[in-house]
Amino acid sequence: MFGKGLLKGLKITIGRFFGKKSTVQYPEKRLPLPDRFYGKPDFHYDKCIACNLCVNACPNKVITLGTDTVEKKKVVTGYHFDQQYCLFCGLCEEACPKDAITFTDDFELTTYDRNTIGIEFVKQEQVDNKIKEIKQAAAEKAAAEKAAAETKVQTENTDKEQTTNKEGGA
Amino acid sequence: MENIFVNAAGGIRNLLESAGLPGLAVDLIVLTVIFVAILVFVLLNVLWLVYMERKVSAFIQCRIGPNRVGPMGLFQTIADTVKLISKEIIIPKNTNKKLFLLAPVMIFMPPMAVFAVTPFGKGMVALDLNIGVYYFVALASLSTVIIWTAGWTSNNKYSLLGSMRVVAQMVSYEVPLLLSIVGVVLLTGTLNLTGIITSQQSVWFIFLQPLAFLIYLIAAVAETNRTPFDLVEGESEIITGPFTEYSGMGFAFFFLAEYANVLLVSMLASILFLGGWLAPFGLTFIPSWIWLLLKVYLMIFILMWLRWTYPRIRIDQMMAFCWKVLVPLAIVNIFVTGIGKYLYESVRW
Amino acid sequence: MKTQEMLLNVGPQHPSTHGVFRVVLTLDGETVVNATSVPGYLHRGIEKLVESRTYPQVLPYTDRLDYLAGILMNWGYVHAMEQLMEIEVPERAEYIRVIVGELQRIASHLVATGAYAGDVGGLTGFIYCFRDREDIMDMIEMVSGARLTPSYMRIGGVAGDLPDGFLEKCQKFIDYLPTAIEEYNGLITGNEIFQHRTKKVAPITAEKAINMSLSGPILRASGVNYDLRKARPYSIYDRFEFDVPLGSNGDCFDRFYLRILEMTQSARIIRQALAKLPEGPINAKVPKIIKPPAGEVYAETESSKGIMGVYVVSDGSTKPYRVHFRRPSFVNMGHFDELIRGWKIADVIAILGSFDIVLGEVDC
Repeated sequence: MFGKGLLKGLKITIGRFFGKKSTVQYPEKRLPLPDRFYGKPDFHYDKCIACNLCVNACPNKVITLGTDTVEKKKVVTGYHFDQQYCLFCGLCEEACPKDAITFTDDFELTTYDRNTIGIEFVKQEQVDNKIKEIKQAAAEKAAAEKAAAETKVQTENTDKEQTTNKEGGA
Repeated sequence: MENIFVNAAGGIRNLLESAGLPGLAVDLIVLTVIFVAILVFVLLNVLWLVYMERKVSAFIQCRIGPNRVGPMGLFQTIADTVKLISKEIIIPKNTNKKLFLLAPVMIFMPPMAVFAVTPFGKGMVALDLNIGVYYFVALASLSTVIIWTAGWTSNNKYSLLGSMRVVAQMVSYEVPLLLSIVGVVLLTGTLNLTGIITSQQSVWFIFLQPLAFLIYLIAAVAETNRTPFDLVEGESEIITGPFTEYSGMGFAFFFLAEYANVLLVSMLASILFLGGWLAPFGLTFIPSWIWLLLKVYLMIFILMWLRWTYPRIRIDQMMAFCWKVLVPLAIVNIFVTGIGKYLYESVRW
Repeated sequence: MKTQEMLLNVGPQHPSTHGVFRVVLTLDGETVVNATSVPGYLHRGIEKLVESRTYPQVLPYTDRLDYLAGILMNWGYVHAMEQLMEIEVPERAEYIRVIVGELQRIASHLVATGAYAGDVGGLTGFIYCFRDREDIMDMIEMVSGARLTPSYMRIGGVAGDLPDGFLEKCQKFIDYLPTAIEEYNGLITGNEIFQHRTKKVAPITAEKAINMSLSGPILRASGVNYDLRKARPYSIYDRFEFDVPLGSNGDCFDRFYLRILEMTQSARIIRQALAKLPEGPINAKVPKIIKPPAGEVYAETESSKGIMGVYVVSDGSTKPYRVHFRRPSFVNMGHFDELIRGWKIADVIAILGSFDIVLGEVDC
């Protein structure tokens, strides 16, 4: 019969009119985000071994890794993440052997200024600290080596003395 | 409560007369006050209707709708209007500037003028015109010309298509609208709106004229350019039709006038078919004007409900529906009503 | 009376061209006399871009082809690469692919259904479809971490195993889907106005559909029984029981309704896949640096819009020499301008909606 479909539609809409609403009042309430969500990237300076795998994995050349060799050790001096070109594909996270680059669940990435879109993860003091650490470690190592060498020399000397003494005594 | 507005008008009149003003001046002032009151009433209703439409559509679509500006989002329309006022009015090149700007100003005129003769409650009518129904039909069709002007002067092809649709649609649907009212007029023998209401004392005309009510409802939806007959705006086809080029307050006027029209046709529907301000079941302790408002809002809700349920009909189908279905049905209805009335009067049981 | 034909540019910015598509109409009143479709406003040169990317890096770009069915686009590419490198995909990975892929197909069809309701003026149907699509989007977000651009598949498997709670959620959605479809049928399909708008509008005969190389729901609406999942089963589609719904008239209504019927069939496939989901690895043994042997491959999968073909030429290096995508929307659009001649403007929108194009895919 003509009009049956029209009435059925009206019935459905009036049912929904009094039914449950599916809106989530966003800024106050948020839907739970899954663990795998690709939000704002996060970088763990201490974990990074400067292997460059993430840079090579990225399809859009988002990541620029700055490295420096201090005392024959690679130091990350800069990790620039140019977020505006990021596809949020997660290939960098997958490539990283040490989980140094991860993604948080922060999806509110809007900024007022274009210059603030790119993220410079590495702070100068972190680099300074790291370099200092390495230098210190190297210095300690060197000192230890030196001390070890000295003791060795000493022991050698004493050995010599002993031998000479022995010889003398002989 | 019942006579609050009538008494207020009477009070003003007494005050002016006791101040010693001549009769003509008193009439003029009282009428001005009444018209301003009607204007305020209509504008407030329009603001509320925009909000209500958004809420109804949201509720039907499992959403919440505006809820940020003011309590429950009540001031949303006001905020939107303020925003639109602050916007630049962009006038396209090669347009007839005067007509382009005149159209949005004029658009409020026809519904406003019709509200002058509509009874808002018992004794609450600004002008008790003897040919009220005729006046309504004559003025309501004027908005066709104004929307057409807007579309034509916009110098935009979408607007042109939209305004051509306006002419085709509104002129066609005037016919069944008019013919459906004829049934009621036949029964009452008067064109006076108050007269039509008082003759529904025993039974509402929706029960005597169900077919006419249905035809009136369909034609009214078409007259107000709402889904399923919103071909004039048909946003998925012709953007917003005649209003495409309007920005800022120009657009807001057309937008608000649409709701003034909705209010008007709903009011007419409740006056012609739902007994106007008459109280059903003898519930006379509720003032007559509240009854009228309730009926009007019932009608408006039905219109909104229809809008958010149905898809849009196509232009040729709509014209065919009007001339091949609605007009013959309306004529049949007139014949049946006439014969019925003749039999009723000759038998007189 | 002297009349004149009018030239009307529909798009590139128009509410219902589903993106930035433009069609130049010559109108006689409301009737279309002539039409020229002008695609290309969303052209990003993906095929050229990926030539300078390594093989795994191509994957995120395929998401951006048909962004309403990203996983199916991924699938087309990895399927081609697996054929080129002759990789055997583990059982579990294949099942996961089928589950997620069919979910994505339902999501894509839901958009098509809802957008079609919106195109003919019923915005409520649009919202209802999107409300239910949101469940699928949540699930895709669970497995891949993104809603629209999942990049979930990998050459030789998938990016990650199904997370906890996914199976229950999926089962729940599959159980709910029939109720939702009933609602769409009540609100949209059964509506007489809708049927008047779509039935007998722009029918395509089976012969014409084959000649114009149409594929997907549009082809099947014309009554041609050709679904790659049945005709030439790839992946593990030969293990599932499902029907290929067919239309009879090939008009707008059939094209629309076929998608609703296909949703039910997709749900059927998912139900079987969930029941049979085996344990095991989710990735084949693929070298860390992918260097396929020199050669070329062309592989086809059935995406939600039709046959998605991927052509890859390898010169033995880490980057593809040439990648070409046979995008179903683009090929289907070839028949559009011929089809809309003689119909009204409102029909143009209805026909375009029934084609269910995605501009990311048309323009690539």
